[in-house]
Amino acid sequence: MDTLQFLMNGFGIAMQWQNLLFAFFGVLIGTAVGVLPGIGPMSGVALLIPITATLTSGLDPQSAAASSIILLAGVYYGAMYGGSTTSILLNTPGESSSVVTALDGYQMARQGRAGAALSISAIGSFVAGIVSLLGLTLLAKPLSELALSFGPAEYFSLMLLGLCAVSGLAGSSITKALIMTVAGLLLATIGMDNVSGVSRFTYNNAYLYSGLEFLTIAVGLFALGEVFRTILDRDKENGNITKVGRILPTKQDMKESTAPIVRGSLLGFFIGVLPGAGATLASFFSYIAEKKISKHPEKFGHGAIAGVAAPESANNGASGGAMIPLLTMGIPGSGTTAILMGALIMYNVQPGPLLFEDNPEVAWGLIASMFIGNVMLLVLNMPLVKVFAKVIETPAKYLLPIIIAISIFGVYAVQFNTFDLTLLLICGLFGYFLTKNDYPVAPLVLALVLGPMIENNMRRALTSSNGDFSVFVTSPVSLLFLVIGALWISVPLIMKMRGRSVIINEED
Amino acid sequence: MSKTFDRYASIVFILIGVLFMVESRKIAASSYGSNVGPDIFPIGLGLLLILLSIKLFIETTKMKKEEAKGEKPDYKRFLTIFAAAVLYVVLLEPLGYVITTFLFLVVGFQVLEKGRWLKTILIAAGFSFGVYYLFVHVLQGSLPGFPI
Repeated sequence: MDTLQFLMNGFGIAMQWQNLLFAFFGVLIGTAVGVLPGIGPMSGVALLIPITATLTSGLDPQSAAASSIILLAGVYYGAMYGGSTTSILLNTPGESSSVVTALDGYQMARQGRAGAALSISAIGSFVAGIVSLLGLTLLAKPLSELALSFGPAEYFSLMLLGLCAVSGLAGSSITKALIMTVAGLLLATIGMDNVSGVSRFTYNNAYLYSGLEFLTIAVGLFALGEVFRTILDRDKENGNITKVGRILPTKQDMKESTAPIVRGSLLGFFIGVLPGAGATLASFFSYIAEKKISKHPEKFGHGAIAGVAAPESANNGASGGAMIPLLTMGIPGSGTTAILMGALIMYNVQPGPLLFEDNPEVAWGLIASMFIGNVMLLVLNMPLVKVFAKVIETPAKYLLPIIIAISIFGVYAVQFNTFDLTLLLICGLFGYFLTKNDYPVAPLVLALVLGPMIENNMRRALTSSNGDFSVFVTSPVSLLFLVIGALWISVPLIMKMRGRSVIINEED
Repeated sequence: MSKTFDRYASIVFILIGVLFMVESRKIAASSYGSNVGPDIFPIGLGLLLILLSIKLFIETTKMKKEEAKGEKPDYKRFLTIFAAAVLYVVLLEPLGYVITTFLFLVVGFQVLEKGRWLKTILIAAGFSFGVYYLFVHVLQGSLPGFPI
């Protein structure tokens, strides 16, 4: 009953008024981020880190970390709710994870069933959120205990596996994804080496001693890169928004979508737990699965409610599932969780197995707040969906310069120097050109966050083995991780060589 | 998806790899009693980056030639806004937060869509004063104020 006790303590933290407020604003902003086509969950979370950092500056470090991660995680799963709104009403997905929702959701909207589609996706997201949280609660303790038994060699291999998984699924070209990963790892070596204290690649630049700030890079690559893309591609048309109409689904709708919601939730959760496979992949798979299972596969694409219910449940289930490797092992499996991890590290909270022992209030407070946040989202999304539909109409011409201004404000507020602002603008340019040419930036950010830890563990393992590299393959667990990592990269390559099309996980 | 971009990018990445490998050799030897010094990780990564970039370069030679499609990116607007952002960053400390933010937003709004000056000025002023007031006076943060 330990877990239950911890969860109750977690609720005690999540129920504090300021944390309720943080969770509320997190999910509210998250929904808006999901609705707005310009910003995705990754840039949304990255933009909010400096703001939460200042909001929580008066609290003691522990509660500050708990409060801000509650807000940031709220943005993450809130975006999964909001993403469906534009898919259904506009046929333009707000997030990549809602692309498949548009297939049937928009058709439903054209048949005047937009309200039903929106509410089913909110209900599905809610069920999936709760399912994945139950999974998280149950798996947290055993998994973190397992992870505690790992030595540096196992950790090194596990993190390598995480990087391989993200690179293997991150874009149309694995070579490019791997280049980005290695570039991220190289950037992570800039600054003071925390094993020997020797400075590397700093060239007497005072700002470089502490390393490149992950926040600056993340905001630049994601948020600014996306804004620059929108300006350059003249991508600011506003389509016609379908009327929402009756919100509550009919009994028939509910009956038809119950099973898809349950299947979508479970599938999404398990896909989310896998590193590299995020919400986009989960929604895609569950849509295909529903189409296969369905007695009327011909209805799909013409407004089948199951085609909305399943992927929307799956993407939310996946975002809950993705928290598991992050919290229990300290391995983020996607770009957004990498940013959440970076945020935790900024607060001196190290995600991983020790998190549940050293900072139970952060870990369990977050889990409990996600229960509350999901309830808030259901309440917000059912009656207020018409209000959120209005958010879509925010004119891009005001939004884009304001996003730039918020990025600059956020980075300056945390770093207090113009060196980081220059770096921010440069990263924005890189973000635009790299993404445009199919170089995925998520692996780079992930590598930047994991880099120092990978290096530390590698050198600790090598030091204890006197420089013998075989230490990574003699430990069975470490060998297993390495083999899985190698497979993750090579299997899609082999499939591609055989001419099979490979599904990739594009997270913006 | 531009072949030319990929080709140049692979060359740039090779150079970055070489640079990291060469510069790693200059890192001071570790005083830490281990034969695994601080240079091993960057040297290995640099090598890996070079190998991957060579692979990318070979891949680009196999790629089919693509025709340029779609409309030309909107460089004029982008460059104006980017230049404004650079000025914003440069002038932030000497001129203070409120003035630079206000000016940047006005330029940004007007470049994206001309006209509606009143709304532009109201939103820009609201944002710059609002953020400054909230951050400095309510949250007790620190931002460059006004030039004296």
